[in-house]
Amino acid sequence: MSYVLASQLTKRFGDNTVFEKINFSIEKGEFITLLGPSGCGKSTLLRSLAGLNPIDGGEIHIENEDLTHTLPRDRGIGMVFQSYALFPNMTVAENIAFGLKMKKLSSVFIQSEVERVIELVELGGKEQQYPDQLSGGQRQRVALARALVVKPRILLLDEPLSALDAKIRKRLRQQIRSIQKELNLTTIFVTHDQEEAMIMSDRIFLMNQGEIVQKGTPEEIYTQPANEFVAGFMGHYNLVESHKAKQLFNIHTDNKVAIRPESIYVREAGRHYGSHISAPQIGIIKEHQVLGNVIRYRVAIDDCDLTVDLLNRSSERLLAAGQSLELLFNLNEIQPVSA
Amino acid sequence: MSAVNLSYHKFIVYLITGLLLIPILAMLLYSISSSWGATILPDGLTLNWYWKLLTDTRFLAAFGRSLLISTAALALSVALILPAIFVVFYYFPKLDRLMNLLIMLPFAVPPVVSSVGLLQLYSDSAVPLIGTPWILLGTYFTIALPFMYRTLATGLSTIHLHDLMDAAHLLGASTTKAFLMIILPNLKKGLMTSVFLCFSFLLGEFVFSNMLVGARFETLQIYLYNMRQTSGHFTSALVMTYLLFIFLLTWLASRLGFNQSGVKS
Repeated sequence: MSYVLASQLTKRFGDNTVFEKINFSIEKGEFITLLGPSGCGKSTLLRSLAGLNPIDGGEIHIENEDLTHTLPRDRGIGMVFQSYALFPNMTVAENIAFGLKMKKLSSVFIQSEVERVIELVELGGKEQQYPDQLSGGQRQRVALARALVVKPRILLLDEPLSALDAKIRKRLRQQIRSIQKELNLTTIFVTHDQEEAMIMSDRIFLMNQGEIVQKGTPEEIYTQPANEFVAGFMGHYNLVESHKAKQLFNIHTDNKVAIRPESIYVREAGRHYGSHISAPQIGIIKEHQVLGNVIRYRVAIDDCDLTVDLLNRSSERLLAAGQSLELLFNLNEIQPVSA
Repeated sequence: MSAVNLSYHKFIVYLITGLLLIPILAMLLYSISSSWGATILPDGLTLNWYWKLLTDTRFLAAFGRSLLISTAALALSVALILPAIFVVFYYFPKLDRLMNLLIMLPFAVPPVVSSVGLLQLYSDSAVPLIGTPWILLGTYFTIALPFMYRTLATGLSTIHLHDLMDAAHLLGASTTKAFLMIILPNLKKGLMTSVFLCFSFLLGEFVFSNMLVGARFETLQIYLYNMRQTSGHFTSALVMTYLLFIFLLTWLASRLGFNQSGVKS
């Protein structure tokens, strides 16, 4: 049986249903990301697992133990909050020691454990400082250490990186991931940032309007979006109407088809293309954006606008607006998606 | 530019402080002069008035009563408001608006009006409250309530109350423990400030104690009122002693406040 098992989870606030009959299972040591736009219920779902929001239906099991009605403090769950939630009146060391103190462990043991996790999150020398003397990244590492020191069965991270600036965020997400791997810690991470989710996760649960719309590895979610919402959320997918799909690619479907912008080629003269590549279509460039390593073109084939991503190989190859080009499509990468 | 600006600001601050200090300094001088009648400067300096005051058992008793009633009222306020405000903020945040309305009431009604109202209300109650210190205790609670509630509310809104409580719960603390170990220490500074503010305020309270209790429970301000016919030097010494006490208290409060903020700079 799975390490974490949630079945038929339902949560309502008054008449408003946040999520209904959610099911999932997580294996030990997995890094799961709950990904979705704000207001999709991902944070509420996370808090329900911790027992901070009581659920209105369903069951939660961890290691085959029914925790549905267990108090948060008895669940063996560690949590890190977006606001850090460090205790302002305590030093770094006291903050980290808090959970062990509540367990009434010996002070010698507490001290050695605190030292161990301080080492783990690389905060040596900051033990006697107060939270308001630390930077955002350091505070979040204290919060992480405080959650880790009690050796939780699962670690919940509620948008822990959202309040940090880009550079620190990058570093901290690597650090979180490497610590998680080192401890083989089952982790559930909440974010609205799809890049963060792709980089960190073993599996992503993509949520929308209180439902998990797709579960899978980052690769699966990205390359095989289950529906239009996933395609729209995960990348800059082109969604092409069914009649256009028939006309352009001879694909018969009632649904729209999704085409990844980077799977589209520009035909180069003299080069041989395989049988999975479509016949060339003439398109006219409407505009472009230089994103850095990638140039994003908006190309019109008749009345159908497509986003095409090309690698920024050299500035001479930048194509100007109004220029026409021949687009080739990888037919294996064109897939129908349900609404 | 900033140097000029700074000295200008300093000048204004010193000027205003100086102006405000003039009556106090005049009173101080008056309280230590033996007699000061038709001359520009006092005839001689003496600490006699202070000696007279501090050996007057009636003064000491009144002072003691004032201290007692203010301390008791504040203890009652802390004991009632602290849990109440926590419950409001943690469990029923919507009630904060109602509380804000409630705490404005003591300001909306002038003390003279509300003391008349209280007299009417309690004059024929089964438990005789009028004329006893007990009614003062209750009234002083309502005076302290707005100050204390507002300061604590500000303190609570500057911390992430719910996240802190959630974090503490997950780490194994009960709600009571979390409140005592995490929320309370963060409110301490505001609490101390409001307690000392209310204390000096209550110590100087006259209208309610005069109207509701009067001479039967002679507090400091009533004693001062009753002594108004005696020598002005004596009452000056009395007011100076009172001011000095408040000043000491404020100084002590700010010292305590800084020491307990917990941040070493």
